[in-house]
Amino acid sequence: MKNHLKAILIGISLLALLCGSALAQNTGETLIKNATVLTAARGTLENTDVLISNGKIARIGKNLRAPNAVVIDATGKYLVPGIIDCHSHAMLDAINEGSLAVTSMVRTRDVLDPTDMTIYRALAGGVTTLNLLHGSANPIGGQNTVVKLKWGHPLEDYVFENAPPGIKFALGENVKRSNFTPQPGQSRRYPATRMGTMEVIRDAFVRARDYKKKWDDFRAGRTKVPPRRDIELEPLVEVLEGKRLVHAHGYRSDEHLNLMLIADEFGFKVATLQHGLEAYKIAPEIAKFGTGVSIFVDYWGYKLEAYDTIPYNAYILWKNGVVVSINSDSGERIRRLNLDAAKTMKYGGVPEEEALKMITLNPAKQLGVDKWTGSIEVGKDADVAIWSGHPFSPFSYVEETLVDGEVLFDRAKDIARRSELKAERERLEKLEANLPPNKRGKKDDKKGGKDENPEATPDPSKGGNKR
Amino acid sequence: MNKQFPRVVLAVLCFFAFAFAINAQVGSYAITNAKIVTVSGAVIENGTVVIRNGLIESVGAGVKAPSDAKIFDGKGMTVYPGLFDADTSLGIPSQPAGAPGGGGQRGQTAGDDSNSNYADGLRPETMAASKLKAGDSQISAHRNAGFTTALTVDNSGIFNGQSAVINLAGDSVSEMIIRSPFAQHVTFTTLRGSYPGSLLGTFAALRQMFLDAKRHDELLKMYAKDPRGMKRPGADASLEALIPVVNGEQPVVFTANTEREIIRALDLAKEFKLKALISGGQESWKVADRLKADNIAVLLSLDFPKRTLSESKDAEPETLETLRLRAEVPKNPARLKAAGVRFAFHSGELKNMKDYFANAREAVENGLSEGDAVRAMTLTAAEILGVDNTLGSIEKGKIANLVLVKGGLLDKDASVAYVFVDGKEFEQPKKPEKPAGGANAGGAAPRVAGTWNLTIDVPGQSVASTLTLEQSAQTLTGTLSSDMFPATPIRDGKTTPTGFTFSVTVNVGGSDIPVAFDGRVTGNEVEGTIDTPQGPVAFRGTRVP
Repeated sequence: MKNHLKAILIGISLLALLCGSALAQNTGETLIKNATVLTAARGTLENTDVLISNGKIARIGKNLRAPNAVVIDATGKYLVPGIIDCHSHAMLDAINEGSLAVTSMVRTRDVLDPTDMTIYRALAGGVTTLNLLHGSANPIGGQNTVVKLKWGHPLEDYVFENAPPGIKFALGENVKRSNFTPQPGQSRRYPATRMGTMEVIRDAFVRARDYKKKWDDFRAGRTKVPPRRDIELEPLVEVLEGKRLVHAHGYRSDEHLNLMLIADEFGFKVATLQHGLEAYKIAPEIAKFGTGVSIFVDYWGYKLEAYDTIPYNAYILWKNGVVVSINSDSGERIRRLNLDAAKTMKYGGVPEEEALKMITLNPAKQLGVDKWTGSIEVGKDADVAIWSGHPFSPFSYVEETLVDGEVLFDRAKDIARRSELKAERERLEKLEANLPPNKRGKKDDKKGGKDENPEATPDPSKGGNKR
Repeated sequence: MNKQFPRVVLAVLCFFAFAFAINAQVGSYAITNAKIVTVSGAVIENGTVVIRNGLIESVGAGVKAPSDAKIFDGKGMTVYPGLFDADTSLGIPSQPAGAPGGGGQRGQTAGDDSNSNYADGLRPETMAASKLKAGDSQISAHRNAGFTTALTVDNSGIFNGQSAVINLAGDSVSEMIIRSPFAQHVTFTTLRGSYPGSLLGTFAALRQMFLDAKRHDELLKMYAKDPRGMKRPGADASLEALIPVVNGEQPVVFTANTEREIIRALDLAKEFKLKALISGGQESWKVADRLKADNIAVLLSLDFPKRTLSESKDAEPETLETLRLRAEVPKNPARLKAAGVRFAFHSGELKNMKDYFANAREAVENGLSEGDAVRAMTLTAAEILGVDNTLGSIEKGKIANLVLVKGGLLDKDASVAYVFVDGKEFEQPKKPEKPAGGANAGGAAPRVAGTWNLTIDVPGQSVASTLTLEQSAQTLTGTLSSDMFPATPIRDGKTTPTGFTFSVTVNVGGSDIPVAFDGRVTGNEVEGTIDTPQGPVAFRGTRVP
């Protein structure tokens, strides 16, 4: 028992050393030498150095010198802005509050899980920022959270403080519960049709407008008793005031158009149409409203409302001047958004930099964070990834991902660490508390722990992915 | 004296009627020749404790046993203050689990006579003291293990209601209660079939109710000051119960085990300036700095995680995080101590108090001093629960809650000889002889066959499912079905001394998920845990009659 403990302690301190050395890079400067830099803003820069200082991109140029900087030789490699996923449910201990049609009071910020292994896998795919959205169970869902993937940091470090607040809306089948069977005795939740969905949204904004007036009256001294604070309506007042971004899940063009008209009626703008599989049908109208669209490139047919789309959706929207992003909505596709962006070059011929923008600068714009991230420009946060080759090649992979200048994924270190983790697992599996119940309490029996250890060699990155 | 008389008669009658104590009487006692761990002061290697009229009359090395006292020769024994179990549901009858899909019986007005405007499960006005039943068999089992005092509260709902500190003996509830209410208790859970149905909604619902309570307080004050021209604020039992909470007068105990649950509790407490305590605290060492800085005490569960899943070739290996956690949790008490965080132990979900002491020993093996371990079961618990004036240590004038142990409390072969609660003596019942052979050899297998309606608490929602069991001696066969997966035959089904275990691999949304059920059956009720690749989840249910 004592020996086990000792071994575990040594293992843990080794891990701490490894982590410590990775963290140490954050303190000083980092100089990435001789990369092919895809700026996602000002074209491609060959054989270029990028100096990172205090988590920001300090200089971009040739033959930069920084004597105290940690140098990363990127000769033959590509430096790419960190990918931004505009639609993700990673890190969430709960995704849907589906009990009511309007749940604007709930916040994904309340249920974040900074230990979700999806974060690490996303970093390994060059992703640095996520838009964590409530699910699509109701017309007006919960408040979203924009996070940076500060793997290994405390929870509060993840939250992208500069990001404007937002909220999830949803339309169509999920909302009217087409594919949902109530349990016996459970009643169907209103709305059950697309017209009901629009009514719920309009009603909510009428209530929000009245609520705002109550407070305006009180603040102006026209009433004596303070109104009740209503955390359902407060975020909707923020939407009316243009302070909160609306991200609206939907598939059919008629519904998305309808929503933009309601928004217009109440004087606000929808920030993004999410999924928007039929958005190509209303591209000029979307452009006129100044709304963004965040899509899958070539994923459809998984339900009735998701049939009528084409892989040219991104191209047509781009051609019409719409800000387009490509999202994953998946803990699996999140790792290869680069290939989804590449497909837009094939289908229609979106230019290379515009295609890259669809997973970097464009989602940054849609989330209101393009001032800080989304492209490689001086003054922006150093959210970048070093790729072994061009990110649009299926043969390329991420070597290092930096968030705010800190290396949070390092492929070489990950590979080196696997034997450590394997050894740690073997030690831990022999621990009394980790033995199956029928093998516990047999400490004296020398055979007890040794035979029939689970034979599988575990994937070291295997973790508590909840979906 | 006149007033006392009927009470004594009643007490005697009760003892004959219920016979839940082998030999109980109030009088004067002296425990002599014993090692005395006073906790508040130095250990007395050989001394005497005198008990009279339910209180500690004197304690010390040179104290003489009075002539009228019944003498206990404490040679080879150690006297400790009666132990605290710092967060339980002792004495509170468990609510019948609502049959799944039973038609909104947990909705807005779930058969209550309250003037609350909030859903069942969001009822902070609920008082543990008014649900408490004296003479519960669990109470005597706990007492036999050396516990004399417990914090108790119903464990259902988001607001669990207001807890009470109770003595684990007494013929009536009023005799048992030491302090009520102690605190409001909150569990981050969900309501079935209504809002909040997810963890997201739980936080929003709590936030809205705290805001509503603040406003209610404000309106009541405005109205008291000058009611004219102002609409009368409605009466609402739930909001009234929360006023002392939002004013920071009544503490809130948040059940929180993981690092993020604890952080969520602390964030909520900070947002509303609540006086928080953490109960559970499995990963509290990860938040120790903040707990220390905010001076937040932890009611620390000694229910250390252990692997419950039996070996299966189909199952994926457990995550490294799970394996690490089980190695780290026993180090938690020593780490909290080193960080200066106050903590008291409780038994969590442990059913067998032997495990409680085994885990306390493990905490000691992992760096906690034995003295600190005992303190976390006695005086620190009394301090955190605000009853250290009368309980938690062996001092003159304090309530005579004592436990007399052969050997030392944390010795591997320690056994409790006598327990005193309020100066009443409880002798240890004789242990039945242990049958030889395996775990299942003794006693007949419980009857678990039938159709069970189960509710499975997967994080963020409840899943209703149906379990059909057929039994042949200790072997079980049957199927498990739900809306989320088709009827699936169970494997390796067998009865246990308290219920059943089986494995099943369900296909949800195209992926096969191997899980293992471990259920404890009481009559037609079952509760237990399911081991899943994502960690254990709880289930409960009822047998269809």
